[in-house]
Amino acid sequence: MSISRQLQQLKRMDWLLTVAVVLLAIGSVAFIYSASYRGPGQPMPDYYRMQIGWFVVGAVLYVAAAVVDYRWICQWATVWYVVAVLLLLLVLFTGMKVYGARRWLGWHGFGIQPSEVAKLAVLVALSYYLFHRTVEMRRQWATIGGALAILAVPLVLIFAQPDLGSAVILALVTVGLLFVAGVRVKHLVVLVVAGVLAMPVMWLRMREYQKARLTVFLDPDRDPLGAGWNLNQSLIAVGSGGFGGKGYLQGTQNLLGYLPRTVAPNDFLFSVIAEEKGFVGSVCVVGLFAVILFRGLRIAAEARDRLGMLLATGIVGLLFFHVFVNIGMTIGLLPVKGLPLPLLSYGGSFVLATMTALGLLQNVWIHRRNY
Amino acid sequence: MIISAASRDNSPRLAIVRVGIALGLLFLMVNLFHVQIMDRDRYGDREQAQSLRRIRLPAARGEIVDRNGVVLANNRPSYDIAISLDQLGRVSKRQDVARIAETNILAMSRAIGLPVTVTDENIRNHYYRRRPLPLPLWRDLPAATVAAFEERAGNWPGTDLIVTPVRQYPYASLAAHLLGYCGKAEQTEDEEVENFYYYQSDSTGKQGVERAFDDDLRGAPGGHTIRVNPSGMKVGEVGDKPAERGNRIVLTIDVRIQQIVENALAHTVLPAGKKLCGAVVVIDPRNGEILALASAPTFDPNVSVVPLLNATGSPLLNHATGARYAPGSTFKPVTLLAGLESGKVSASDTAVCGGGLQIGNRRFGCWNTHGHGRMDAFTAMMQSCDVWFYQEGMRAGVEAITRMAGELGLGQSASVDFAHDLAGGVPTPEWKREHFNEKWWESDTAQLAIGQSYLLATPLQMANVAATLGNGGTRWRPFAVKQIESPDGKTLQITQPVVLSRLSVRSQNLAVVRQAMLGAVQSAQGTGHHAAVRGLTVAGKTGTAEFNKKDGINRAWFIGFAPFEQPVVAVAVLIEDGVSGGHVAAPVAGQIFAGIFKSSLETTGGGPIYVD
Repeated sequence: MSISRQLQQLKRMDWLLTVAVVLLAIGSVAFIYSASYRGPGQPMPDYYRMQIGWFVVGAVLYVAAAVVDYRWICQWATVWYVVAVLLLLLVLFTGMKVYGARRWLGWHGFGIQPSEVAKLAVLVALSYYLFHRTVEMRRQWATIGGALAILAVPLVLIFAQPDLGSAVILALVTVGLLFVAGVRVKHLVVLVVAGVLAMPVMWLRMREYQKARLTVFLDPDRDPLGAGWNLNQSLIAVGSGGFGGKGYLQGTQNLLGYLPRTVAPNDFLFSVIAEEKGFVGSVCVVGLFAVILFRGLRIAAEARDRLGMLLATGIVGLLFFHVFVNIGMTIGLLPVKGLPLPLLSYGGSFVLATMTALGLLQNVWIHRRNY
Repeated sequence: MIISAASRDNSPRLAIVRVGIALGLLFLMVNLFHVQIMDRDRYGDREQAQSLRRIRLPAARGEIVDRNGVVLANNRPSYDIAISLDQLGRVSKRQDVARIAETNILAMSRAIGLPVTVTDENIRNHYYRRRPLPLPLWRDLPAATVAAFEERAGNWPGTDLIVTPVRQYPYASLAAHLLGYCGKAEQTEDEEVENFYYYQSDSTGKQGVERAFDDDLRGAPGGHTIRVNPSGMKVGEVGDKPAERGNRIVLTIDVRIQQIVENALAHTVLPAGKKLCGAVVVIDPRNGEILALASAPTFDPNVSVVPLLNATGSPLLNHATGARYAPGSTFKPVTLLAGLESGKVSASDTAVCGGGLQIGNRRFGCWNTHGHGRMDAFTAMMQSCDVWFYQEGMRAGVEAITRMAGELGLGQSASVDFAHDLAGGVPTPEWKREHFNEKWWESDTAQLAIGQSYLLATPLQMANVAATLGNGGTRWRPFAVKQIESPDGKTLQITQPVVLSRLSVRSQNLAVVRQAMLGAVQSAQGTGHHAAVRGLTVAGKTGTAEFNKKDGINRAWFIGFAPFEQPVVAVAVLIEDGVSGGHVAAPVAGQIFAGIFKSSLETTGGGPIYVD
């Protein structure tokens, strides 16, 4: 197929999904601007310009990931997987240390987060693996064992960075994939129970700051100036936004720096939106994510084959867990995790990974069955 | 096709995933609704609590003026130099602020020639606890220093000239005990403090009118609301509520009378070695207005009273309302009135004074050890014969005397408006049994009749006894605040004179007592003769109550009223260690009467110097 014919296929894409993505991208730039704003005439970091750049590159990846047939992409699953594992190994030994964790691969002033690449690669690998299991095989423990084997190496490497949030999300997405792949529910229950029982072991392996975050989540006032600060300030920001919000560039929590400036543009961007646009803004954000997630599930249901269905479901799961954990974190429902909000939070690797994932979703739709 | 069929097999599970995601998003929405709509106020309050700081702006206290509008207490500006540490913070790094402040303060100190008053620790404390407030460096500077500072203020960033109101008493110690004084308000845990993150204390009344009318005088503090960032630096102003000046208090006293009274008291003639300590109260018997009230020793409320708190002679104590003394012979009019009313005593009753009286197995002396000879009510009152009063008092009985004392307000607080005045005490047989577990003897009644024997009264109470006898039997509540006005001069409240009681006595009996008191002053043989003023009819009674026989300490009293026919002034004078009422207290009262009626005596021979 020529490139032009492939681009012709773009007409078949889910335009509503694309509109939701574009609206969230615009919101992202606007509120990253607000999160960096320091008052009239004050110098401010130009994160919002960087974010525009990331979205431009992301748009290219979106289109590219949409047009090249996903079946062809998935044939190379092993390669993506090996590259991801190598990057994860590389970051463990040469990564930049930021706040005590090695998550970044620095390269000429740009940093990439291999865990974002890995989440996508594992998803493709798992989908491809499960796609090749027959119905009978999927009802046996062996399939679960194989999936866990695929998951294990990147999971351990991500956990070692440490990036607990990404590790948990990857595990949850795997369980979701196994579920829609038709694994016996009994087996899944055993798996989940085993995972829960393994938690105390994880606790022992956790770093002090991670433990602090978990205990503070249980009691935010325990340490209001230390680990509880972000959680408290985020809650105050969201709550004081009220129904209509304080107005764009008027969020005092953010403007005065109560919501720490290091996290406002990325992990806590939702708090900035909720403070300045209130409950109305929250509804818009959750609504746009709902559009993306439900269109994604429709794409999974209409997929040409099991591979497309698994891939689409996995991507929807990945996005959903990010949205749920991030927003849950800003209002104190979940422990404070360094998990960004898809399409909104500032961050190159994550924008590119998210845009690629959404491109793949469109890919499954473009190559859906023709009745 | 097989593959698609397999895909369809899984659609129930996809549906479950769809429901799961829908529930997840719903869960988020419900919680967002809860945080942003239901709990909005709670988080809004927390947001304000952490980023808004209210700075209290003290209000200027209201004025206190005399009945003619003469200012007795107001405020003057105090020029202070202060430094704003948060402004230094903007030009430099946080940890250097204290050092930069010190450097600036040192430079300023050299330039204006005043020693540095704040320590490194002061600066650091202020920086951590009251950052958005200016830190005062020098207070109440003279004009020349202020000018020197203003010339060069630009050299020192963050420094400011701040004007604060300071309480001022233009007449210094005049009426100090009535006015009271102000001190730094105590910082308590009350609600007002909680409302203000930074409590700038203002002064509060500690005594007298300043204290009793503090609510009126204090005014309403203003507030200055600023926004701060997490490091406590001021980032903007949110709102301002100017402080409201306190109300104006118009007193019943007349500065001219007060000056006459204080002058007379200060010039009390005492034998060498005796320290002046005493009180004078002047009341208008027609309504209870306090025209003057003085206590000695006195103090200057412009100066800090802290060194005086434990000083000997209790200069801060208002001896007119806060100290109790045996009234001595000034009680004799009460005894006489009680006896006449009881019907057991007649003005014509006679006693022969031989310098003392045998009661039971003990002899009770008269002050005049040589004896007064044959006495009746008028001569006994005139010469203050104790023997006649022993005899007639016992005849009247303790009950009649204590009842009359109570009717005249003794033994109970006069409930004046500017102080908690003491109740004093009137002993009764029950009281004696309760406190001493002893029988009430006839001799106790005799002692009571001459104003001794546990009887205690304040000079204010005795002035009111004089006023009540003087005006024909109406006991008014003494008061010092005539009216309260708003700062812009609107009358808010006028004190209505209150009748506490009317004596239930026959007018001819009261006339006898008044006539007897007139003789005590007007007659050349009267013990109160030194209180007489040419051209004025003064009635009164002296008193010399033994306090400490060994050291020869007597309470010297004089109570009286004038003019006799229509009294407009009632006076009580007490000198704590005053030797004799007739020789020490009565001349003070005489000077006061003369001073008050001087101008009118020269012209019409009528009323006092104040006009109503």
